[in-house]
Amino acid sequence: MNVLIKSATILDSKSDFHNQTQDILIEKGIITNISKRISNPNNYKEIKLDNLHVSQGWFDSSVSFGEPGYEERETIVNGLKTAGKSGYTSVALNANTNPVLDTNADIAFVKSKAQNHAVSLYPIGALTKNSDSKDLAELFDMTNAGAVAFGDYKKSISNPNLMKIALQYASTFNGLVCSFPQDNNIAGHGVMNEGITSTTVGLKGIPAISEELQVARDLFILEYTEGRLHIPTISTAKSVALIREAKKKKLDITCSVAIHNLFFNDEALTDFDTNFKVSPPLRTNDDIEALIDGLKDGTIDMVTSDHNPLDIELKKVEFDYAKNGTIGLESAFGALNSILSTKTVIKLLTKGKERFGIDNNTISIGNKANITLFNPDVSYTFTKNDVVSKSRNSIFENQTLKGKAYGIIANKKIIL
Amino acid sequence: MKMGKINNIMSELSVNHLLGIKYLTKQDIQLIFETADHFKEVINRPIKKVPSLRDITIANLFFENSTRTKLSFELAEKRLSADVINFSASQSSVKKGETLIDTVNNILSMKVDMVVMRHPNPGAGIFLSKHINASIINAGDGAHEHPTQALLDSYSIREKLGTVKGKNVVIVGDVLHSRVALSNIFALQLQGAKVMVCGPKTLIPKYIDKLGIKVETNLRKALEWCDVANMLRVQNERMDISYFPSTREYAQQFGVTKELLNSLDKEITIMHPGPINRGVEITSDVADSDQAIILDQVENGVAIRMAVIYLLASKIK
Repeated sequence: MNVLIKSATILDSKSDFHNQTQDILIEKGIITNISKRISNPNNYKEIKLDNLHVSQGWFDSSVSFGEPGYEERETIVNGLKTAGKSGYTSVALNANTNPVLDTNADIAFVKSKAQNHAVSLYPIGALTKNSDSKDLAELFDMTNAGAVAFGDYKKSISNPNLMKIALQYASTFNGLVCSFPQDNNIAGHGVMNEGITSTTVGLKGIPAISEELQVARDLFILEYTEGRLHIPTISTAKSVALIREAKKKKLDITCSVAIHNLFFNDEALTDFDTNFKVSPPLRTNDDIEALIDGLKDGTIDMVTSDHNPLDIELKKVEFDYAKNGTIGLESAFGALNSILSTKTVIKLLTKGKERFGIDNNTISIGNKANITLFNPDVSYTFTKNDVVSKSRNSIFENQTLKGKAYGIIANKKIIL
Repeated sequence: MKMGKINNIMSELSVNHLLGIKYLTKQDIQLIFETADHFKEVINRPIKKVPSLRDITIANLFFENSTRTKLSFELAEKRLSADVINFSASQSSVKKGETLIDTVNNILSMKVDMVVMRHPNPGAGIFLSKHINASIINAGDGAHEHPTQALLDSYSIREKLGTVKGKNVVIVGDVLHSRVALSNIFALQLQGAKVMVCGPKTLIPKYIDKLGIKVETNLRKALEWCDVANMLRVQNERMDISYFPSTREYAQQFGVTKELLNSLDKEITIMHPGPINRGVEITSDVADSDQAIILDQVENGVAIRMAVIYLLASKIK
């Protein structure tokens, strides 16, 4: 693959060309030249796009594609295409499948489906067999097949002893454990944040304390075990405070926040619109403020779209029966870039890779091309036409977003 | 459709469905009450029926058990001469197969104009109103709203005390699982009453004070404050765990007895949406006393439902 990118503004703080508008020549997947004006004697494909910006390829630490088992929601191939079109060069795939990805063979299967794709797929293996919170899955064996972390997606580990054992065991081979932050006893049958809105709409609430108890518990266990823990998608102010304290103690902890939890508060549920039914639930403005502070001071390490395609039958039902989740890859950049500076957004979209053992490639001559192309300034209303996913359950439908990805160049391939 | 003479003195409702009190205006409530006054007179005639809705077909869809609300609606419909069909399904049988939209659309295909629905899920009526083409009356959706109950409660207070405005009303008991409480709070506030809730902390939603109401855990203090006490039923069937140790202990703290009422320095009005657990929320001598307007509420329920159905039917083109 040979391509010449014309006048692109490079946003990569590690690159010598940071904040400069340059031509970039890529030959056989390697960046061979970056300079003000590069001629094109070999007639390579030229990329010339409006207000073109480029950065290191983006990473999403929590996506679901359904395959195997839920192909009606999404397939791996179309999921990766969605990721690429949305600017992501690598995604971590949740074990949100049927059966769950809990063996070496399962990991190998999803890896094989993603072979030769521009977007790299990094599976998260299930932490427990069948994700039923009883016995550990074969974590080491899955690591050998390519699993980058272990977690039971949105099923939390209720038994603290099991969490203790998981962290201890995984640490023997430097494995990363993901623990969904929710105490199910307190969350009960809740379907949205507990607050004034849940009171006025009569929906059962999930108190913030159900998340904070679990976070606090996991941090205690982490301190004891000295393992490696990632807490995906925190949503409350106190969770941020708890993790901030843990980081001061130098615990090996990272966490993420879902972009929709930064964008919407629980008042969005006043009309019982099931597209707003997500887990963790949309919280309050105070929580959103604390989450954004956490992103800015580094307490929260990464953002995720928490992309979860669900077919219409799972959403066009009574609110209590609707499944949690929203697609998010397509809207991720535009949504995030509407509430944070582009510089911060790019940092957040590239920062999580290291934690999951994924290479970072700066935009420098001689490096592999792993690049996202985007326009940070275009404003538009996000509609179903912007959706590439097989399912259309977008929480961002009809929202005004700022910024759009053009696509990616990665693994010697172009998606535009 | 014949509107009859009362159409002359009134305007129309601001809504096409009755999904909850929070979607109504003060004027809507006023209009419903004035229309109900007329129908209350009708149902006390020797011939308790008017021909107003002869060309209207109403489906009563009850996805959750109900006896009195269903009877009250059916009677209201029949006294307006509407054609009535009834559909009852347990939650689980619907959950297994057909979706709610399909179920209702199947019924609507038989040319039904209006749907009265009780459903275990909050927002079910609102959800349905977005996807089907018929006028919907919410007869209770989970712990969300039960608007006709709140209307008949306010109507009964108005009947007994002359007005709702300025009155102090306490709602006692299981507010957490109650749609009656929420609809009552909205309706009473809209009409200018002051509202308090009283019960064990486990049955009072944590954030309910943010609705601008008082919260009290001492029944005596609550009764001393109020003009009207609306006693809610303890909804054991909705509780996933025990929210209090025993009904005996509940009654000790939150049961209204004749002695307690007599010890107050004023006579307050006692209401109950039914069915009563005698000896739990209120003792028999309270339920059967002159202070209780429980059976008036039942009678007014028919008049209020006639008014709501009539007013919504008049908006069907």
